[in-house]
Amino acid sequence: MKLGAFAWLGWRALVAHPLRRLVRRGSGAERFALNYESEGLTRTRPEDRAVAEAAAACIGCGLCETGCQLAASPSVRSLGLHAAFRLYSRSSVDLPHALEALEACAGCAGCEALCPTGVPIGRVVGALLGRARDLGARAGRG
Amino acid sequence: MSARLECEVLVVGGGLAGAMAALAARRSGARVALARRAPGATAVSSGAISSGTDPTELPGASLGARAGVADSARRLAALRPRHPYAVAGERLERLEEALAFAAGELSPVLAPFTGRHRWLPTPYGSFQAAALCQRSMVAADLGEARGRLAVVALRGHMAWDAGMVASAVERAAPLGGPRAEVARLDFPMWEEAALWRPHELAGFLERPGAAEDLGAMLRRSLPSGASAAVFPPVLGLSPGADVASRVAAAAGLPVAETLSDVPSVPGLRLQAALEARLRSAGVEILAGDLREGKGPGAPAACAGREVLAPSWVLASGRFVGGGIVRRGALAEPLLGIPVTAAEAFGDWGAHLARRPAASLTYREGRAPQPLLSAGVACDALFRPLDAHGAVIHERLFAAGAVLGGHDQAADGSGLGLAVFTGYLAGQAAAAGGSLAPAPAASGRPAGMLAPGGGGAGA
Repeated sequence: MKLGAFAWLGWRALVAHPLRRLVRRGSGAERFALNYESEGLTRTRPEDRAVAEAAAACIGCGLCETGCQLAASPSVRSLGLHAAFRLYSRSSVDLPHALEALEACAGCAGCEALCPTGVPIGRVVGALLGRARDLGARAGRG
Repeated sequence: MSARLECEVLVVGGGLAGAMAALAARRSGARVALARRAPGATAVSSGAISSGTDPTELPGASLGARAGVADSARRLAALRPRHPYAVAGERLERLEEALAFAAGELSPVLAPFTGRHRWLPTPYGSFQAAALCQRSMVAADLGEARGRLAVVALRGHMAWDAGMVASAVERAAPLGGPRAEVARLDFPMWEEAALWRPHELAGFLERPGAAEDLGAMLRRSLPSGASAAVFPPVLGLSPGADVASRVAAAAGLPVAETLSDVPSVPGLRLQAALEARLRSAGVEILAGDLREGKGPGAPAACAGREVLAPSWVLASGRFVGGGIVRRGALAEPLLGIPVTAAEAFGDWGAHLARRPAASLTYREGRAPQPLLSAGVACDALFRPLDAHGAVIHERLFAAGAVLGGHDQAADGSGLGLAVFTGYLAGQAAAAGGSLAPAPAASGRPAGMLAPGGGGAGA
């Protein structure tokens, strides 16, 4: 059993993988997408990076919550929209979990005037919502 | 851009330090504008105002015998030469005057200043000193309360552990504090309300009848012999709602709330009280980022208006308020004032703040963390200094957390220091930066307690 496993790994590493490298097609990014996008690990686009940098000014003080008139299901309320995007926005695998909270945002911008560090919350939520829907649709296909 | 706003003092920052500076300058007769972008560290504070405790005090000392507010600050200053208390020199004698001024200006929420520390329970099973506390916290002062406190658990309110608070009260009992007992209330926590966040519960209790219902419920399930009841910090957001008194009247005994974690209802209430007082005192509030600010005497733009003032008070806070930012290294973003930091073994200066911020923390948790006391250096009048130790501008003052040399986590002098430095900086700014002692400029005796009268001439 153990011997069989080692033989299989050896075949893959020493024969199959080098042979596959000789005939590989497409750019590195394309092959990355082929291998990982089905698992929800997508590439970080420049606009995603800009949103992540804007959101990185968040210090987690919770002041925005007090201006948030979120009317949504209890599961969203218990976490809060702003906590949802802090928790899930860093990983494309986790981001679809925040979809319900992100969709509940009415876009009132009541939170933005309360942010001591000036995070453009409306812009961050809008961008994450687009990305979460995109990822959700991808997962639906996969 | 609409008409230019000309005034004598421009305060940058709308937290407690900025508000105290604006109100003190207003009391001295100056025309004052205050530019603020958003609530800062005051709104996420515990809701009480601590000026720092005596660092030499033994933990077992009885609460009644501990050093008062002024003595604690003097001992802190003696041990920490970079602390603004130490830098202020003889003017530290005016700490009590500043705290009494704050209590008077914010009398709708703050209880009068007593000169001694109040010892208040936190939601985490500890108790902390405060030089000033809100009226809604007085009955939980472990240094004054006697008998047996009923610590109230609201069934379904998740962010609160009454047993832990009761244990904190019990820990103070050998030091002369009261005893404690948990009282469980079946406060109507239906499905939706069980998920209320503290500020939503506080808003609910402001509604007519809600606080009275809660008080009546408490009266029915009160443990025998209770002398006062301690609630989670949710007793109303608005300074005028007076939920604590309404619950107390219905329950028939004094009622208090503990200090708060974030999101902090008492912190938001303190911020609301500040803003209400600034408006009633006739301070022009500009809501927005201050741009094109070159310093006193030069025009700056805020909220679509041009502001011109010969004296500025920089009260922009530290890491929460945005007065000190980390852009690779530490920086003061508005005027580019050099940020100074101190190292544990005496090295101190602007060169330390140019290092990566991560190098200003130490892994050993009990060591002083230089990052937490980073800020601008100042002279005895709280005027910021440049990299060579010279005053940057005769009429530029700083107050509150933007000042370096103090560390709220280590010495507990957070909002109390904001009151002290804000009060003195505001007076000095109104006096035009002259080196004469500020009270001569106001022409009033110390300890002005009456609120109002903000428009009096200089």
